[in-house]
Amino acid sequence: MRPSRVPMVVTWLVIAFFYIPIVILVANSFNSSRFGGSWESTSLKWYIRLMGESDIWNALTNTLIIATIATLASMILGTTAAFALHRFAGSRLQRLHYSVIYTPLVLPEILMGLSMLLFFVELKVQLGLVTITIAHITFCVSYVAMTVLARLQDFDFTIVEASQDLGAGWWTTFWRVLLPMLAPGILAGGLLAFTLSIDDFVISFFVAGPGSTTLPIKIYSMIKYGAPPLINALSTILLVVTFLAVTISHYLTHRGRQTA
Amino acid sequence: MKAANRIRVFEWLVTLPSFAWLLILFIIPALLVFAITFKPSTPFGGIGEGWTLDTLRTLSNPNYPAIIWRTIWLSVATTALCILLATPMGYYMARISPARRSLVLLLVILPFWTSFLVRIFAWKVLLHPEGMLKQLLVFIGLCAPDTSLLYNAGAVLLVMVYTELPFAILPIYAASEKFDFRLIEAAKDLGATSFRAFRSVFLPGIRVGLLTAFLMVFIPSLGSYVIPDIVGGPTSEMIGNKIAQRTFVDRNLPHAAGLSALLTLTVLVPMVVIISLRRTGAVNRALIEEGV
Amino acid sequence: MRPESGGTECWVSGEPVEDANRPVSEFLEFENVSKHYGSIKAVDHVSLTVKQGEFFALLGPSGCGKTTLLRILAGFEQPDTGRVRLGGEDVTDLPPYERKVNTIFQSYALFPHLTVWDNIAYGLKVAKRPKREIKEEVAKMLTLIQMEDQAWKKPDQISGGQKQRVAIARALVNKPRVLLLDEPLAALDLKLRQRMLIELDLIHDEVGITFLYVTHDQGEAMSLSDRIAVMKSGRVEQLGTPEEVYEAPRSSFVAAFIGDTNFFSGVVAEPMEKSHVLSGLLSAAVDKDYSRLKVDGLSDLQCYNDKQIREGEDVYLSIRPEKMRISRERPKAEPHLNALQGEVEDVIYLGSQTKYWVRVGDYRISVIRQHSRFLLDEKPIRWFENVWVSWHADDGFMLEKYSEQDEKLIQLPPEEVGEPVGNNENGPAPTPEGVA
Repeated sequence: MRPSRVPMVVTWLVIAFFYIPIVILVANSFNSSRFGGSWESTSLKWYIRLMGESDIWNALTNTLIIATIATLASMILGTTAAFALHRFAGSRLQRLHYSVIYTPLVLPEILMGLSMLLFFVELKVQLGLVTITIAHITFCVSYVAMTVLARLQDFDFTIVEASQDLGAGWWTTFWRVLLPMLAPGILAGGLLAFTLSIDDFVISFFVAGPGSTTLPIKIYSMIKYGAPPLINALSTILLVVTFLAVTISHYLTHRGRQTA
Repeated sequence: MKAANRIRVFEWLVTLPSFAWLLILFIIPALLVFAITFKPSTPFGGIGEGWTLDTLRTLSNPNYPAIIWRTIWLSVATTALCILLATPMGYYMARISPARRSLVLLLVILPFWTSFLVRIFAWKVLLHPEGMLKQLLVFIGLCAPDTSLLYNAGAVLLVMVYTELPFAILPIYAASEKFDFRLIEAAKDLGATSFRAFRSVFLPGIRVGLLTAFLMVFIPSLGSYVIPDIVGGPTSEMIGNKIAQRTFVDRNLPHAAGLSALLTLTVLVPMVVIISLRRTGAVNRALIEEGV
Repeated sequence: MRPESGGTECWVSGEPVEDANRPVSEFLEFENVSKHYGSIKAVDHVSLTVKQGEFFALLGPSGCGKTTLLRILAGFEQPDTGRVRLGGEDVTDLPPYERKVNTIFQSYALFPHLTVWDNIAYGLKVAKRPKREIKEEVAKMLTLIQMEDQAWKKPDQISGGQKQRVAIARALVNKPRVLLLDEPLAALDLKLRQRMLIELDLIHDEVGITFLYVTHDQGEAMSLSDRIAVMKSGRVEQLGTPEEVYEAPRSSFVAAFIGDTNFFSGVVAEPMEKSHVLSGLLSAAVDKDYSRLKVDGLSDLQCYNDKQIREGEDVYLSIRPEKMRISRERPKAEPHLNALQGEVEDVIYLGSQTKYWVRVGDYRISVIRQHSRFLLDEKPIRWFENVWVSWHADDGFMLEKYSEQDEKLIQLPPEEVGEPVGNNENGPAPTPEGVA
């Protein structure tokens, strides 16, 4: 019997659906016309004008600083959390711990954003880059913890015993066995946290103060009130950077899976 | 017993950092939302002293049921469309050669990693009255020159499906990959047609993936705010828009808190399903492992 | 951190390893060791000693406490009571990393992120040995396990048998005073298991250190060990050489767990009279060496009386299948020969031997006939033939009856008796046998 072609057709149509808007956006960034309804001429004028927008570069700097701090902090918190969840699985404390880690993953972002805004207002904390960073750490912890936990579940803890059996104490075992084995998971979690932090708009918008603009907040205000062609150019740069990063890491992990 | 105590202390030691952090910055703020619902607002956008039922009274405004209703139906429609498209994709991706699968997976994951705002903006450009799609549709006579593709519920639904689709594809693909396709051959051997085998063997076989996809799409959809804000209009507002308006435009935080509390309660129902499902570990595995 | 004892380092060259003053019989000693998990007694007041250089097996069904005993020696479990001594030193309270013992884990527990070379070198690196020495020692080990050309592979690039060998090398390179092997062959398929069995034996001969081997497989234990401790429910049921344990089981549990046997359930009657035995020619003289056993539905059976058994006691009579003879004609009357008539129910031809099942009353007796003298014109015994089954009274053993619980332990097929592989969700938490 010939297999049905429906699944294949749907798949490639959806992939086309994914990429058509992106392709048009990228094409438009080289179009000197304002809305891309007609093609005036191919030009880099929007890119050149983008270079002069110092606001954007400030916002990018803020975003990178926040993402770096949030990633490092959430890697530490998330890894200890995953370790506790795995090592003491089933205890009453860990069941509670798990719920607390899990809920932020599924809760709509806007609820987290508003609740943290209320919290900071009640405590009379000055809104700004610090509050954005704190908020980012909070939602990144869960993602790192879950990523590391998934790796831990495939982890044979006998090798910890094996290490001790071969004369290594707790410290040596941690550095020579546990950490190297968990490193891919922790790094994957960190990469996820970094991307989510760079991309986050909703939560950042709620807890941002005057003057503390991140790149997504800047893009949002440009979309709402600004010049579309500039965003085309900026979006294209962002797309190229993420496409390159994701493709490289995709093939690295896939090659890694074949050999390791 | 001394050793057992040491282990208890160790458990607390490794649990405390993340637990305390989330307790203070996630659980307490979430409870605060409910408390502030009963606080008065101040004219300067702050939170006043004492307790009041003002917010509850304004929530009974007849505008709100319509918005809540729209929020729910847009979320249900988004979820249904996403699962409808993602299921054949999961089936297809699980059956192709590993090299091809790796490519399709990459193509699906790429948009998931790209900037959320950029993806929404791409649609705004495409649907814009002077944009390419509109001109194409007018040219082939599918729509009148004065119809607007933007700023309506249809545009919101389209973009919501666009942004949420990877969250449906990944768990369904993960479940399909583990599915034993010999079962389909067995069903056909027993006389089932292809479609019947798909419906009575494949779908039940990936039900955990389907359920995960449902939750992964439905709950975030309920809280949508940016999409209706950018591609929607006044007739396609969702609860999220109202929360943002009360926060940023009216500076009425207790009112925003009240709406958030309402949204939290709406989200709570599917959440309970997750809590009972998460013991299988299927939910987080599907989300995280495949997403990375 | 580790106590260095210079004199014990030279095992590879086969030189005398231990201080001559110390009696070798008390090299490794468990004294009154107990371990409970909740209400379950995993190890119940076990005392035993292992000699220097011995290949010693702990054999028993799942949940008998053998793995717990091994983990207590390795230092992964703390006994509730009792002491463990190694070469005269009390090691009961030492952490695993300060004990000069090394373990081969059932799952091998090779470090997946390290190459074969780095896995083997791990213990030496941790002990901060000089680089040159590490290189030499690892090279020696790679030669021993014949994997010189695989040194730079990662564990998931080598086969199951090779992983096994790396695990052995990784442990041996540290020159442990005792090598602990926890069901090391359980994860291998039958053919590989047989090959590794021989290799383990060769390695033991070559390095000459003490092996403590935990297994549920009586075949492994019998073929490798100098001595075997058969364990049941946390206790040592019998301790002896393979021959002793097989030929002179001290309980019906041991008789049934090790090898095949036929059990007859009966009551001890008064001792045989010699006169009766020798066809009534001599006058009545009582032969106290043999007991008479009344078995329901069969004629009385005789058995050599090697222990104090009183009249009227309920016992099992155990006879190994290969001790029985099968013939068409009634065997000639001999003193102390038991003979029963029955019908052949099943025949399995196995080449070197044939296995028969003979129905006698309520009993289905299994008999093995070795083909030591095969004649082509011989007419083999077939199904439904009437035959005689006979054995000498010296070949039987009278043993106390075992409980129903024992029966369950014995009847489990070996595949299911396999102990759970060390870890599960609880990570390094204790995984008591039988509880998990």
